[in-house]
Amino acid sequence: MPLVMVVDDDQDLAEMLSIVLNGAGMEVDLVGRGDEVVEIFTANPPDLVLLDVMLPGIDGIEVCRLIREKSMVPIIMLTAKGDTQDVVLGLEAGADDYMVKPFKPQELVARINTRLRRTAKVGTLKIGDITIDQMEHTITRAGKMIPLTRLEFDLLVALAKEPGRVFTREALLSEVWGYQHAADTRLVNVHVQRLRSKIESDAENPEHVLTVRGVGYKAGPAKE
Amino acid sequence: MFISKLKIQQSLGLRVLVTNIAIATIAVSIIGLTVYSRVSTTVINEKIAISKVETRNALELTQGHFNISRFQDDTELQKVVTDFLTSVREDGSLSGRETVLLRIPNTSNVRDIYQTVPTLLSLDSIPKDFRENVLKSDEVIEIRSDIKYTNGAVNPGFIIGGKLQIPRSGTYEIYYLFNLNSQYQTINSIAWSLSLFGLLLVLLIAFSTRFLIRQVVSPVKAAAEVAEKFTAGDLTSRMEVRGEDELASLGRSFNEMALSIQQQISKLQNLSQLQQRFVSDVSHELRTPLTTMRMASEIIFDQRATFDPALARSAELLINQIDRFELLLSDLLEVSRFDANEALLDFTNFDMTAVIRKTIDYLHPAKLDSFEINIPTNPVMVDGDPRRIERILRNLVANAIDHSEGKTVRIELAESEHEVAVAVRDFGLGFNESDAAKLFDRFWRADPSRARTSGGTGLGLSIALEDAKLHQGELLAWGKPNLGAHFVLTLPKRRGDLIQTHPIYVIPND
Repeated sequence: MPLVMVVDDDQDLAEMLSIVLNGAGMEVDLVGRGDEVVEIFTANPPDLVLLDVMLPGIDGIEVCRLIREKSMVPIIMLTAKGDTQDVVLGLEAGADDYMVKPFKPQELVARINTRLRRTAKVGTLKIGDITIDQMEHTITRAGKMIPLTRLEFDLLVALAKEPGRVFTREALLSEVWGYQHAADTRLVNVHVQRLRSKIESDAENPEHVLTVRGVGYKAGPAKE
Repeated sequence: MFISKLKIQQSLGLRVLVTNIAIATIAVSIIGLTVYSRVSTTVINEKIAISKVETRNALELTQGHFNISRFQDDTELQKVVTDFLTSVREDGSLSGRETVLLRIPNTSNVRDIYQTVPTLLSLDSIPKDFRENVLKSDEVIEIRSDIKYTNGAVNPGFIIGGKLQIPRSGTYEIYYLFNLNSQYQTINSIAWSLSLFGLLLVLLIAFSTRFLIRQVVSPVKAAAEVAEKFTAGDLTSRMEVRGEDELASLGRSFNEMALSIQQQISKLQNLSQLQQRFVSDVSHELRTPLTTMRMASEIIFDQRATFDPALARSAELLINQIDRFELLLSDLLEVSRFDANEALLDFTNFDMTAVIRKTIDYLHPAKLDSFEINIPTNPVMVDGDPRRIERILRNLVANAIDHSEGKTVRIELAESEHEVAVAVRDFGLGFNESDAAKLFDRFWRADPSRARTSGGTGLGLSIALEDAKLHQGELLAWGKPNLGAHFVLTLPKRRGDLIQTHPIYVIPND
């Protein structure tokens, strides 16, 4: 069973979340304070973190940054303010996705499953001078491994699978994040930036993930 | 330099400058001309008067001389007269004076040996009637006349004429023709000096006026600029206050006024910010418990098959009301965003007809029969935020269905060159005029006792109006009791344009 760490100071909500997640076949680790997260995370690494933005101790954005320093685990932020800076800050701190309260339990479970899903595929893909090993879930560039979060990996694979196809942000949202309806395209923008900062030698002049102005993104041509 | 009339009317400084230069020019001209004419008259008259006195004295002296000489013999007399004439001519050549000696015709039969006319002088210079006057007069008289020469030259001058008795020869007319060249030269140089000084004076006045204008007008201009900035919303702009003069006191009063206005406004702003913040905070704070409730109710709802009927129905009601609560909360948040001016438009170019179809499909896929839809088949492209436009339309259509009493709801689209209009018409309850004004108010209900069918939040029309305004558009309503209602949304097609025409009038033509 996958282990989900729920970080929320609202005890009732945390309990409710664990009921829902248990019902969906997941184990839950409840943490009530921001400053306790790292310790528990190290002792018992979860498969996914559900993180509230407003926390006692240290806030969710900071917690997110701390987790990212040591792990590529998927992180979903829970926020009460879908319209503010919180979302962008959270995504920039390394969160993969976010959910605005109040959300429906089915939606939450679906989103978690998308992030936990391991697409068991074989073979390697090439994008620029990067080799993607789908089996091993690794990417290498000039013989060197580049660590990516699972979401960043999925994003890169989605683009590399169909070289030359231009993906709209909406298409990527449905492909990578599993959204069925229109959602926040900032998700795509922020993660493309993060991905570029890891795989491009010059993030200002990307060679692997190219912007198609007014449309979206596409993979750069493979190089030998 | 070309100064247009408009420019002069617009600038106080320029107007004062031009007026001042004009007045100075006129004054200097009048003074200059007066001085000039006085000086020139005086110079010339003086010259004439002096010349006349001198001539008279000289003539009397000569006449006396001649009279004494009459007793001498012819040769001696002739020598005296010739000496006189020679000296007269020599004097004249020095002072620019010509002397003419003419024998009076028919006075005596003696020889006219002394008649003298300078070779270059034209005798036309001496007018005929002046000669007659000289003959009649016993005195020396003068006249202003141009002195003409046989070579065509003409000089301004005057003539003094008298009579001279030369013994044993008869009476002669003697004319002294003075030319006034040197006087006119003097006068001209005075005129030049006067003009030069006049010009300098005008320039001086112009410069000093400019300086004065700068002293007076530029603070006024600065004040106007500050006031404009203030009006434009920069409440911190203040006038510079220097010294203790009238302008300084104007500046001080202005600044006091500005400060007081700024304080009042910031007080009101704080108040309304507090209020907005409160609404926003409350809405956010409600979200966490609502999330818990939502999840709990979903779990209960999922189990309803195992409940007895009353419990099962309660679970349904619970989840419905949580939906409604959530809707209300998100509407409240939206309203607080409008109030805080935080609502942002996500502009794209989209097809209005597609949005209308989507709205209808989303709301009532099963009730398509009850709609009468008049929209063009070709796309109608509009700049706007399709999410907000769809929300407006959803609201209008849902409202129409709510109040249509089961009758048809008509939806139509019309466009002009720059605008597009979407109208939603129902033939149900309608509303009366006094309600029309309150229709867009928050939480306003036409009839509080009326049963509600769609569970709207009471904020729908208010949000729709705000959304329309964000697009620089209009949302107008018409209604008559029992005749139904007509809502028309008009939007400019291009971003930033303003509405000029209405493709659909809000008063329906049926």
